[in-house]
Amino acid sequence: MYSRGCRILIATLLAAPPLVGQTVGELRARADSLARDWRQANALADLQDTLRHLARRSGRDTIRVGALTILANTSPLPLQEAAAQAWPVIERLYGPAAQAIAEHPIVILAVDPDTAVDRPPVGPGLQVPWNLSVRDLTRLLQSRVDLGPVDPGLREWLRGSLLLRDDTARRRSMVYVQLVTAPSVAVRRCFLGAVAACRDALSLSEAPDILTRWYDPAERRALATRMYLSPAGAGQTRVLSCKSGNDSACLDLLESSPPARPLDYEARFTLVELALHVGGRDAFLRLLDANPRDVADRLAAVAGVGVDSLVARWLGEIRAARPVPADVPPLGTWVALGWMGVFAAFGLGSSRWRVS
Amino acid sequence: MFRVILYSQWKWSRFIIGLGTVAGFGLPILSVQSATRTGDHPLQAGELLQTIQSWGALYPVLAAALAVLVAIATWAPDHRGRHVHALTLPLPRWRYALLRFGAGLALLAPPVLAVLIGAGLATALAAIPAGLQGYPVALAARFALAVGVGYAVFFAISAGTTRTASAILLVIGALIVIQVVARVAAVDLDVVTRLQILLVNWPGPLAIFTGRWMLIDV
Amino acid sequence: MSNAIELQDLHYRAGKSFAFTNLNLHVPTGSIYGFLGPNGSGKTTTIRVVLGLLRPRAGRVTVLGRDMPADAPSILARTGFVPEQPHLDPTLTVRETLRFQAAFYPSWDRTWAEQLLRSFDLDERLPFGRLSKGQKGKVMMLLALAQRPELLVLDEPTDGLDPVVRRDMLTALVDYVSQREATVFISSHLVHELERICDWVGVMDNGQLITELPMDRFKSGIKRLQVVQAPPDLAGTPFTLLARESNGGACESWIVRGWEPEMTMYFDGIGASLQTVIDLDLEEGFVELLRTFRAPRG
Repeated sequence: MYSRGCRILIATLLAAPPLVGQTVGELRARADSLARDWRQANALADLQDTLRHLARRSGRDTIRVGALTILANTSPLPLQEAAAQAWPVIERLYGPAAQAIAEHPIVILAVDPDTAVDRPPVGPGLQVPWNLSVRDLTRLLQSRVDLGPVDPGLREWLRGSLLLRDDTARRRSMVYVQLVTAPSVAVRRCFLGAVAACRDALSLSEAPDILTRWYDPAERRALATRMYLSPAGAGQTRVLSCKSGNDSACLDLLESSPPARPLDYEARFTLVELALHVGGRDAFLRLLDANPRDVADRLAAVAGVGVDSLVARWLGEIRAARPVPADVPPLGTWVALGWMGVFAAFGLGSSRWRVS
Repeated sequence: MFRVILYSQWKWSRFIIGLGTVAGFGLPILSVQSATRTGDHPLQAGELLQTIQSWGALYPVLAAALAVLVAIATWAPDHRGRHVHALTLPLPRWRYALLRFGAGLALLAPPVLAVLIGAGLATALAAIPAGLQGYPVALAARFALAVGVGYAVFFAISAGTTRTASAILLVIGALIVIQVVARVAAVDLDVVTRLQILLVNWPGPLAIFTGRWMLIDV
Repeated sequence: MSNAIELQDLHYRAGKSFAFTNLNLHVPTGSIYGFLGPNGSGKTTTIRVVLGLLRPRAGRVTVLGRDMPADAPSILARTGFVPEQPHLDPTLTVRETLRFQAAFYPSWDRTWAEQLLRSFDLDERLPFGRLSKGQKGKVMMLLALAQRPELLVLDEPTDGLDPVVRRDMLTALVDYVSQREATVFISSHLVHELERICDWVGVMDNGQLITELPMDRFKSGIKRLQVVQAPPDLAGTPFTLLARESNGGACESWIVRGWEPEMTMYFDGIGASLQTVIDLDLEEGFVELLRTFRAPRG
């Protein structure tokens, strides 16, 4: 491992151009690029180790369906069938970008589900019990799709995985609930139709006064006093001042330790999903392109429409996804009435009420 | 016949029905009042829903309590006399039992109506945030079903003989013993959990009691 | 003669301790049938079988010409029942209890019920549970009578009641029977009480019906004879010798059934002397009958 790492490092450094005469910005970009290369090289080296490990232990299977490649030891695990079900979904969700997963095969180590049998030591590759069902295995493969690293700007905005899944309706229902319940004036105004407020709530705006746009004074006071339950020293004075109604004090507290965004990852992810859907088959490729760097502009470029238009459409989709309170299923009333009849019949048929 | 049976059951259960009616009326109003905040905190939809959900846990409790007590009161007049009077009345026995069942259901109507009226008032008078709405009718309907199912279950138990009750207890005891023995023998057999799932998940008989009871929801 | 109640070859078992087999009982229509027996003899069990509260293992039960329990509702609509223990809702007042009962019986006689209410001197506002034992007994009798039944089944209706209450209840019963040709099936161990009103008697002991015959035959048929110098072995007696006891010396006391006055000649034939013939009342006859029935054979 040490000798391999040294080789990689030397190779990387030898490939780097001379640093003399470059600006700070250029040097920074170069450092980012070198770090990416380092991570890729390490991943390839880990993969090589895993493949050697698999070949040593048992026979090896290589399953290819489309661009989906799976490396696994020989076992009863229904990988071929699961891959055949997973690939069409992956291709539909990611479009041409899905071809990139061919460079990132999924390594699976199928293990005996009997807990009494010794498991191989933990190492590269995903350990999967070989009695996993086809459905669960398909979902697992879909969750392991690796299209390569996402640029920092998008990653920082999204704050979550870019992995696409086939459960848009459920996610939108969850976001609807957020729009209704989030303790934020921006979110409430967004729900009522103010697109600008939606941009703020989705963190698409980079305004310096974003805290005042997210939360009104009462909400800022509530947030600040909740965040600082047991302040000490100077903080105590500011908290007391904030509690007594001094909004500046509340703002100071919140700026020193910024609160969570009013809408969470699911809301932003549904916006990305919609942009990809509107943008067509090549949309995901455009998403992975780090240019333009501003996320709002990038999403607009992905969708092929203006950002306000995209956000308005997103709001419409979310409001249409209002969840139906389903505490009693559709046939639940009849089921309950049926049970009433059943137990009433038991009571009427009691042996006491027959001749004993 | 139904009127006199209803009257006799009313005499046994009027206190229960009275309390249940007051509780049914007050529960939705108290839940919404509790969720409404004034002063420093603006009306927050998330907190409102959490409070409503917390109070909502009392509806199935009230339904079950009413069901048990009214079912016991249904047979109380006859239990005292060891059912001799009922069994010597000139009508088919199943019909007598049906009259008792119907009278009990009729007596459970006031608490259900109280929930409906209370829920309606509570949601009408509350300032519900945008995006949320009240479900007084759905809540009252669910309460009615829960009370009805619970009453039917306890009616059947109460109408049975001691032998029937003993048999039921024996079966439950046997299941518990099997569970314990299986655990000791390290056999993967969880009958109690499976039975619980059968009873509590749809379409089990107790499923109507489980889940969220939300007077106000999205 | 038709029978209001007929039990044919009845078999019933209650647990391991009590049973009756091949029970045959006939209550003639229009009679007042006294069903005698000591405590635990099976009187209440028999009554419960008659009313369909218990199911026999074998045999046939016919009440008012219909099968029990197949036709139970129609039989019970014409039958009034007074149980041994109060069986009514204790929370209902006397008035409410009457109203409850009336709802189930189309033949309910409201005027007659009011009359009985007054004659029994009952406070209609009192809950049944707060009445005294005697008052409860009166209410149950009132309910049974007011529905104008063809058959009255009374299970020790005056047990534990004071003489005044007993008299009131039996008077009402007799009044009712005199107005209407109803059949009364009344069980009791208060033999002297039944002696005054019953015209038929059946005696039960340990699940068996010892005898069943008209009252006058029962009373007249059992005598106590004072006999002197009777031989130890007796053969061919014209009467049924139920018991024979020594009174000291050569004097004996005999209990016989089926005695006729002309049978005195029998004693001349055996060289004995009949001193006196004593009539036994119902209670004495009942006791002697039981004693004889329970005595070991041989």
